[in-house]
Amino acid sequence: MEIVLQALANGIVSGSLLAVPALGFSAIFAVLRYPNFAIGSLATVGAYAAWSANTAFGAPVLVAIGAGAAVAGLTGIALEAVALDRLGRGGPLMKAIGSLAAAMILENVVRFGFGNDLHAFDLPLARDVMVGPVRVGPQQLAGLAVALAVMAAVWAFLSLTSLGRSMRAVADNPDLARLKGVSPRLVSLVTVFVGAALCGIGGTLVGLDASLDPLVGGRILLSVFAAAVVGGLDSIPGAVAGAFLIGIAEEFTVLALAPAYRLAVSFAVIFLVLSFRPAGILGRAAR
Amino acid sequence: MTFLDRRRVLQAGAVLAGALAAPALLRAQSGPIRLGTLTPLTGAGGSYGPAMATTVRRAADEINKAGGVLGRELLIISEDDQTSPEAGLRAIRKLIDVDKVSAVIGTWASSVTTAVAPVCWESGTFLATVSGADSITLLPHRGYLIRTQPNTTLQGRKFGGFALEIGAKTVAFVSPQTPFSDSQYAELGKTVEAGGGRTTKLIYDDKKTTLRTEVDAVLRGKPDAIVMGGYTNDTAILVRDLYRANYKGRLLGFGFAINKQLVEALPAEVSEGILTLSPSAAEGSDGYKHVARLLGTDSPDPYSCQVYDHLNLVALAMAAGRGDTGTVIKDTVRTVSQGGGERVDSAVEGLKRLAAGAKVDYDGASGPCDFTPIGDITDSRFRYEEVKGGRITLLKIA
Repeated sequence: MEIVLQALANGIVSGSLLAVPALGFSAIFAVLRYPNFAIGSLATVGAYAAWSANTAFGAPVLVAIGAGAAVAGLTGIALEAVALDRLGRGGPLMKAIGSLAAAMILENVVRFGFGNDLHAFDLPLARDVMVGPVRVGPQQLAGLAVALAVMAAVWAFLSLTSLGRSMRAVADNPDLARLKGVSPRLVSLVTVFVGAALCGIGGTLVGLDASLDPLVGGRILLSVFAAAVVGGLDSIPGAVAGAFLIGIAEEFTVLALAPAYRLAVSFAVIFLVLSFRPAGILGRAAR
Repeated sequence: MTFLDRRRVLQAGAVLAGALAAPALLRAQSGPIRLGTLTPLTGAGGSYGPAMATTVRRAADEINKAGGVLGRELLIISEDDQTSPEAGLRAIRKLIDVDKVSAVIGTWASSVTTAVAPVCWESGTFLATVSGADSITLLPHRGYLIRTQPNTTLQGRKFGGFALEIGAKTVAFVSPQTPFSDSQYAELGKTVEAGGGRTTKLIYDDKKTTLRTEVDAVLRGKPDAIVMGGYTNDTAILVRDLYRANYKGRLLGFGFAINKQLVEALPAEVSEGILTLSPSAAEGSDGYKHVARLLGTDSPDPYSCQVYDHLNLVALAMAAGRGDTGTVIKDTVRTVSQGGGERVDSAVEGLKRLAAGAKVDYDGASGPCDFTPIGDITDSRFRYEEVKGGRITLLKIA
């Protein structure tokens, strides 16, 4: 029983780390209607920006996370404006392929600038504490708290601000939104900024929990994608639900099967969910 | 087409191709001798590959300055295998088909070597590697492959012995899936069980960003020592999660994973006491000092030492066999690496002796460089180290 509770706790923590970039991925998909596979590299860019702020400029962790989000967001906008927007004329598939290419370029830019070596944030590592039968890490709880706060902020932005409402309007019905005077270009850029910034925060949280190398974002890409698909590609709450489901499923894999089958289990979960709910847990058709 | 029928076009084409090919054949005899390096400049081995490629280039420059091999310059073409079998295969195809190299030096990851070796032996290209998986020298390579890294059976046995030596009775082997994880665990298990101990194994996914549940599973077996079989990036995550879980036993890992960059990326108290084991270069030897000079460092890594030896052996074998093909290298490499003769530790020196009609026996920067018929080295020493106060300190070389 304790083993199950422990795996559940571990799954919630890793799910929360997946949820933040998954939110970014789904937001971009909902508004711009293409899967942006550069999210892994954007997470890497954000993580390195945060790490630089923390180690080179001595910024405290929360400020560093903010810096990571800002740099990733701006990088996302630059990618969209310079390359992906033009590819959009060739349809969403072209944009998706373009984003894959952009991901490789970004990853190699990071490698060129920072090298292949491992880096770590300037933080002591805290031992875990026992909460009842479950072992939890103070830093992982802090990561969970940041992830939850970011999710709450995204929810507030989407429901309470006019820009957020415009984003949802474009996501729901782009033509109607345009008739109502919402500028699709502005909404697209804001969405890309927010989506990429979320990826940057996600990458930074992973970097804080583990360590940093140019593949840090690439490693979470498939799980984030799995989370967004399971949740329903265009559903923002779905991304969060999907992330927790995938996070928990991956940790339970370790209990039931050999840990090496983790990704296979993620995709088995996708297969199962989509067999019964083709639009994902909270996707458009299911609403 | 009235005045140029198909037959004439074909005839003209054949003549033209012949005319173009003839100088190429002549050029091949008189131009530089082409050799390739295939090292990981990116990916898990990315921290070793650049220095390996640099070592080979600088050592080749020295040979060229001294007059080259068979009166011809060595031209080194470097490619990146990205520590990935697919990328390695593309790169070796380019080296062999486009650059026409006669030997490839340096493949690091066993998975990459396993993927590229068949292309080498099928095309008659010689391959010298630093990969350790047992399966590599068991491939039907017909002599076109040698390695200077001790195989993993030997390494597994040494790990088992090391664990017993520090008093461990229950030893967990925790590793990602690699071509050597099974053979290593088998040997480790045999050694530990022969010493009255017990072993368990857990294979994890090295793409995971947290290994908490895996750590929980390992610690349920209450191991006195954990042997970590991964590469640097995933080992860093494993070590952090073991520290968080309050693990108080001993940690052992490969020297290629527990390296300077891992220690620098972890707080000193987290890496404190990790023990490492790695095939030792011939420290203190002239060859070793030579590599140190080439790289401008006090302590060159073992792989740079090994590729330095690869280049020297290839150069000497071509000179001894009076030819520049992979087949010549294959047929003569053991006549310059072992079997007595004047001891030499650089190609420049050895080439002079060969020109004077002497027989040479190369002892290099990585060790004596003597090979079994299937291409394994016959002898290697190991370096035992411990992380103390954020630094890797030598315990012994044995």
